[in-house]
Amino acid sequence: MNRKILYIEDNEQNLYLVRYLLEKSGYEVVEAKDGPAGIAAAVAERPALILLDIQLPGMDGYAVARKLREQPAVVRIPIVAVTSYAMVGDRERALEAGCTWYIEKPINPETFLSQIELHLTAGGTAS
Amino acid sequence: MNYLARFIASRIPPGAAARYCALLSPLVIVVLLATLSEAATRAVTVGIYENAPKVFTSDSGQPSGIFVDIIEDIAKKEGWRLRYVPGTWAEGLDRLAKGDIDLMPDVAYTAEREKIYSFHKEPVLTVWSQVYAPKGSGIQSILDLNGKRVAALEQTIQLETFRRLAASFELNITLIPVPDYKTEFEMLRAGKADAGLTNRFYGLMYARTYGLEDTPVMFDPAPFFFAASRNASRELPDVIDRRLIELKQDPQSAYYASMKRWTAEEVQLKLPSWVKVIGLALGGLVVLVLFLVIGRQHAAEAALRKEKTFAETIIDSVPGAFYVIDARGRLVRWNRYLAKLNDLHPDELTGMDSLRNIHDQDKESIARSISDAFAVGEAEAEARIRTSEGERTFLFTGRRIDAEGTPLVVGSGIEITSRKRAEQELLRYQGHLEELVERRTITLQETNVKLQREIEERSRAQSELRAALVDLADAKERAEAADRLKSAFLATMSHELRTPLNSIIGFTGILRQGLPGPLNEEQKKQMEMVQNSADHLLALINDVLDISKIEARQLQVASAPFDLRTSILRSVQTVRPLAEKKGLDLSVEVAPEIGVIMSDQRRVEQIALNLLSNAIKYTEAGSVRLTCAVHDGSILTTVEDTGIGIKNEDLRRIFTPFTQVESGLTRRYEGTGLGLSICKRLVELLGGTIRAESDVGKGSRFSFTLPIPERTS
Repeated sequence: MNRKILYIEDNEQNLYLVRYLLEKSGYEVVEAKDGPAGIAAAVAERPALILLDIQLPGMDGYAVARKLREQPAVVRIPIVAVTSYAMVGDRERALEAGCTWYIEKPINPETFLSQIELHLTAGGTAS
Repeated sequence: MNYLARFIASRIPPGAAARYCALLSPLVIVVLLATLSEAATRAVTVGIYENAPKVFTSDSGQPSGIFVDIIEDIAKKEGWRLRYVPGTWAEGLDRLAKGDIDLMPDVAYTAEREKIYSFHKEPVLTVWSQVYAPKGSGIQSILDLNGKRVAALEQTIQLETFRRLAASFELNITLIPVPDYKTEFEMLRAGKADAGLTNRFYGLMYARTYGLEDTPVMFDPAPFFFAASRNASRELPDVIDRRLIELKQDPQSAYYASMKRWTAEEVQLKLPSWVKVIGLALGGLVVLVLFLVIGRQHAAEAALRKEKTFAETIIDSVPGAFYVIDARGRLVRWNRYLAKLNDLHPDELTGMDSLRNIHDQDKESIARSISDAFAVGEAEAEARIRTSEGERTFLFTGRRIDAEGTPLVVGSGIEITSRKRAEQELLRYQGHLEELVERRTITLQETNVKLQREIEERSRAQSELRAALVDLADAKERAEAADRLKSAFLATMSHELRTPLNSIIGFTGILRQGLPGPLNEEQKKQMEMVQNSADHLLALINDVLDISKIEARQLQVASAPFDLRTSILRSVQTVRPLAEKKGLDLSVEVAPEIGVIMSDQRRVEQIALNLLSNAIKYTEAGSVRLTCAVHDGSILTTVEDTGIGIKNEDLRRIFTPFTQVESGLTRRYEGTGLGLSICKRLVELLGGTIRAESDVGKGSRFSFTLPIPERTS
């Protein structure tokens, strides 16, 4: 089974936090610090799931999700947006842009893994 | 100077120092005086760039604007000579940094700039930045700028602030730097940018001209100063401060005059064209009348001459005097007319002195005319004749003839009394007409003056009215902007606070789970405290955000079908660990008719959770009970506890923000004091009501209603 997860995020601490949580549970984490790098990594690595931060420098998360949905090679990989609750309509916009689900910041380490796993199985095997 | 004296003194052997100083002192005084007089007419170089109405070059090439007015006023009082150096904004700052100029106007303070320039402390202006867009853009908030092209002045704090603001909202905005606001507004008009940043001063002045409107997006009210070169003396900023404070205290000062001048619309006075036309027409009339009068005079004289010829030919039958005079001035021949005129029988006239009945004043001229006639052959003269009927005026003519060797003068006299009278009348009338025209002209001029004054007064009143309206609109906009700013600030704050919290909550969770390694009991206890504090902080941020949205009327609730029973049970499940910890009996009873409703699931759960956790928080022993059933045509949810209760006078204010019954230092319970006011607003948005009852010491009962969905299926 593919246990590779791509995390597109520019904040070092968030990267470290999520990588730590996932690696402890036996996942392999691929990191990308901006949109274009994330898209390239998705195509090259074919992860089982993509975690996508919305507040990215330059190309924002919505744009990244839309681009990913245009690539036939990765179109079936589930994307979970990591959004901020602060802005009205953020989650709706994430789903509209092509995300499969969303997790609100700050993440809860106790429930984070179960939330991820829900979409790993639901998203099917993309490899 | 002291320094110079000391410097010189230090180079001289100690014994000689006093002598040298004595010698030097006159020189020192001279130099000192020269410096003083130079200071009295100090030259101050000021940078100028284009940012009307704050600072700009007028159409006639003069430096103008609020900053120029103010520095001119200060220079006048201080005796400075000002020299202006025009250039772009960036050039000005560059020159100031190099010390090529002393002052640059319109500079916002930043810590970074403080390192390069010196600033005075009293702001010249405080200006809001604002987004302008073509009319009908529909831009209501900064979020509407997502995906848009926004033009902004390069190298400005405004641009940087906006860039950060946009980033914090995760907006994808293309910023287009422009050299000046004029270019920016031209781009907006040409559709080369969707919106532009400018200051309110510029916007108020030019937006209408370019078909633009101000959007509600205002930000960063910034104070603006004169920045002084580091090379210039520290005195410059100090003097500017002192003078600015003076100027601002006096409502009649150049400061306020300048504000009024550059922030109100210009009014131009013009004399209406019809006044000019009437003036011209009247002038024309005068010329025409004069022309007619003179023309008539000429015609009459011509007729007279003709008559004279006629009289000479038909001597006796003519209605006039006829006579022949000899060289001695005696009448030799005459006609009846002349005899009658003299009241004499024709026979009596023979040899009569021709001048006998001539008016004394005219005798001399008649005599001269007669001798003229003999001398040159012809003469004529006007003369008055005394008759029994009174004085009559005649025109006498004479021509020399040679009668058998004797020179004689043959002549005739035509009465011109009436003509003369008419002429005089005409002259008088002409004078009168001139007077009349003059009088009318004066009246017209007076009317003109009056009209012009009226026009001036009216335009003054109009501009005052316009200024008052602008003031009013301005005040309203300011108030609204402040509100928007507050909401935007709260939203940004809450968003920014969430990022560090992500790390705190995340890593605390990891440590507590023992993922990096096992914790001892003390460590576990402390990590739990961190976790609780962080959770509390998060709840606080969420509440503040909700309140800000409520106040900005931005909070929206969804309406979608969901199972209320499930939601209620889940909320109770969520708080059950808290109740168990305190040993409380937590029970729930949902009536069988409760099922799927149309409402906002997230918000309904938020309300239920809030009431439940309040009840548990304020109850030390006993029970907390939730019931949910249809009651009086709506769904009634009630949370009852056996806690401390709420005093009657406090019950009224528990739904107001930031109210916790025991507030201040005596606060015993954690909480934001925002929960109930949020609940109240949410319930109202969902179409229900909320109420609280309590017996102090016995417990409280909170209940809220939700509308029953209309049966459509």
